Amino acid sequence: MRPTRILAVALMLTLAATACSETKHKGDSGGGTGATGSSGPKKKGGTVTIANTAGQTWTCNFNPFNPAVYNTSIGFVYEPLVFVNALKDQAETPMLAKSYRWNADKTEIDFTIRQGVKWNDGKPFTAKDVAFTFNLMKRVKSTDLYALWTTAGLRSVATSGDHVRLKFDKAAQPYFYAFAHQVAIVPEHIFGSGAAAKSPDTWVDKKPVGTGPFEVDPCTANNIQYTANPDYWQPGKPYIQKVEYPAYLDNGPANLDLANGKAQWGSQFIPGIKQFYLDKSQDNHTWSPPVQNVSIYPNLDPSHKMSSNLKVRQAISLAIDREKVSQIGVGGQVPVANQSGVVTPTFDKYFDADAVRKAGFDRPDPARAKKLLAGLGYSPAKPLKLTILTITGYTDWDASLKVIKQNLKAVGIDLDVQDLAQQTMVGRLYTGDYDLAYYTQQTTGPTPYYELRQTLHSANTAPLGKNAASNWERYKNPKVDQLLNAYASADPAKQVDLVKQVAQYMIDDVPVIPVVEAVDWFQYNTKDIAGWPTKDNPYAQPSAYNFPDTGQVLTHLYSTSAQ
Amino acid sequence: MRFILRRLGFFLLTLWAALTLNFFIPRIMPGDPVDALTVRTRGRVSRGALEQMLTSFGFKPDQNVAVQYADYLGHMFTGNWGRSIGQTLGEPVTRLIGDALPWTLGLVGVTTVLAFLLGTLIGTVAGWRRGGALDAILPPVFVVTSALPYFWVGLLLILVFSQGTGGALPANFNYDTSIVPGFSPGFVGSVLSHAVLPAATLLITTIGGWILTMRNNMITTLAEDYVRMARAKGLNPRRIMYAYGARNAILPNLAGFAMSLGFVISGAILIEYVFNYPGVGYLLYNAVQNVDYPLMQALFMLFTVAVLVALLAVDIATVWLDPRARAA
Repeated sequence: MRPTRILAVALMLTLAATACSETKHKGDSGGGTGATGSSGPKKKGGTVTIANTAGQTWTCNFNPFNPAVYNTSIGFVYEPLVFVNALKDQAETPMLAKSYRWNADKTEIDFTIRQGVKWNDGKPFTAKDVAFTFNLMKRVKSTDLYALWTTAGLRSVATSGDHVRLKFDKAAQPYFYAFAHQVAIVPEHIFGSGAAAKSPDTWVDKKPVGTGPFEVDPCTANNIQYTANPDYWQPGKPYIQKVEYPAYLDNGPANLDLANGKAQWGSQFIPGIKQFYLDKSQDNHTWSPPVQNVSIYPNLDPSHKMSSNLKVRQAISLAIDREKVSQIGVGGQVPVANQSGVVTPTFDKYFDADAVRKAGFDRPDPARAKKLLAGLGYSPAKPLKLTILTITGYTDWDASLKVIKQNLKAVGIDLDVQDLAQQTMVGRLYTGDYDLAYYTQQTTGPTPYYELRQTLHSANTAPLGKNAASNWERYKNPKVDQLLNAYASADPAKQVDLVKQVAQYMIDDVPVIPVVEAVDWFQYNTKDIAGWPTKDNPYAQPSAYNFPDTGQVLTHLYSTSAQ
Repeated sequence: MRFILRRLGFFLLTLWAALTLNFFIPRIMPGDPVDALTVRTRGRVSRGALEQMLTSFGFKPDQNVAVQYADYLGHMFTGNWGRSIGQTLGEPVTRLIGDALPWTLGLVGVTTVLAFLLGTLIGTVAGWRRGGALDAILPPVFVVTSALPYFWVGLLLILVFSQGTGGALPANFNYDTSIVPGFSPGFVGSVLSHAVLPAATLLITTIGGWILTMRNNMITTLAEDYVRMARAKGLNPRRIMYAYGARNAILPNLAGFAMSLGFVISGAILIEYVFNYPGVGYLLYNAVQNVDYPLMQALFMLFTVAVLVALLAVDIATVWLDPRARAA
């Protein structure tokens, strides 16, 4: 007993010490070229063209508070306080905040703002701009996109010198990802006067003034051209001098331009990627890291007798041959998921493989599934009929469900796949008008906690007929709520433990059935451009639609012909 | 005159009915704009904030439906079409349509008129020289091509003329994205070269219909007694072909042409998608996908008005071409 106690005391002491000291950042290779071999400054030059389906011509609005356009402005032009890398165990890169410090119970955070940064119109960036941004969200509710002043419990934002202090009414550590990483800091001298101040949510920001590596010049309906910000605060960066972002209306043309090398940065599913893209050139590469799950959501409300029966859900999870679903459904382009709901290998640290194995969920087990169903009076000869909703046009999901249907048929479940228009399907999922639904949680975060909380916390559900925020299966378990609530003020080691405990409930209660993992689609061409995020150097989420990760990628890329 | 007035009255009544349907159908459709926006923002954003954001852009879910309807009817006529609450959140609808409409009118409009004129001409000649070389080859060929789906022809053309030639003809966009639009020769040339493949697709798939109907109408008309009399009188064959044959044979085709003109404005959705051509077709598709009420309403209104105006114009043209209609 004694050694453990000493250890515990030592641990507490170090924790207390770190709680009041300047946060050490888990070195996310600031120079960033780590794995590419060469380091040091690069010569400037080169153009990158992004082929990511926008589905719409550009409106040339870069207002970072407008969720329809923020992914073309945040990362490119606007920047956050701290960049948190979801792919590398929350590794942090200080951006507009040089450092920060939490108080002991994580209800207060004090940012030290970087000096010497300029807005791209030449005006200096100060701590006042940061405080202004957060206070703007209080004044105009619709700009508070992450519910910081409501759900997160933000109470006040104040500056003193180059410090900005955010006070919360409860432990706010899980919201760090939202307020430090996702909120883009805007200039007070633009958003604080005139039309922008009057309605910052609807104001059309044509010529964005930000601190980021690029400026918009020019924007037309068909193409946004970004040119390097000559006064960018990271010395020597960005190396790439131009980014072209054409507005593709559909995947087809975008994929075509990727395959023939016209565009270098792709962010979408390419069917038959080997023949269509990779075989076209040895410079074409792909790496799509998993970030969340695509799952079967069973309706747990007792009025849905069969889907709320634990044995049925266990049988479904046991019957599905996930490997086959991945191969046939998505051409092997997405990894298989596991019943614990922890996405691997991205979040391996939180993954308890033994727990999955112990429960028998580590491989398909149709025999056991059959037995479970037989106990309920069903068999392949007398199957249980269930319907599953999916979205029409999602051909990869349709193919996946064909495999699942086959798997389930063999054990005694007759699955009726209903293809619905996205709106209809989502509407029925939100209000709980379904038996089973094939869908994916929309939120990602730097640890599995975010997806698990969205999926399982009872605060995110609602009675049948009402819109549930994200706990669509309507899972309610006070113990799980407690575990999730405890995460906020827990230390990192304890957080891992808490996630593992929650994951155990995923295994025991089977509230949802993860089938395959959803990935960040990413294709890249290395003919002239180097410095891409790779499996060995995952310095940011690689899809062009991930903000502010785009800012990281853009400051790492360089042209090899310019060197 | 009475005929025209009656037609006008009918026009107004239809317009009102269409506008009313246009108001209610989207609201009966499943899904709501907040859900759509939640999906599109990957759930990162709080629902309350999204609702408020949509409200600041003019979305009023809680307002009395009668008041909304009255407002809507007024706004449709005053051109105050509101702001998009879908994918292009916050953009004035008039601007969105203004940006997309010229491209559709240019591409689909010109091609539709061209297909009609060419098809009618070929059909006239084929019908006149029944059993000739032209009649033996063109109609069957175009019957086949008109049965091909748009997107398939489009993809085939891209494969052969764009991929196959190393990009001699561009396969996407309405002009080279690296050019800043303006009246420069480079820009105009770029617009034209980008229109070749989509226009060819549209032409190939639509011309067959005109050829076939015109040819068959011609043959029926040429069997009429007045044509036989014209021949007996020894009139110039060319005159018989155009003034006696084609003038009568074209009448049934006119209504069809009006309809297709009316549909020009809704664009050829599939063509616009295959060729990444930013016209009105994809705008409508996106508006429906994202439950963008203001954009949907404005677009449906335009489509309705376009079809109705085209039909009215045909009615007037029929009166002019066909003396019998004047008596009615």
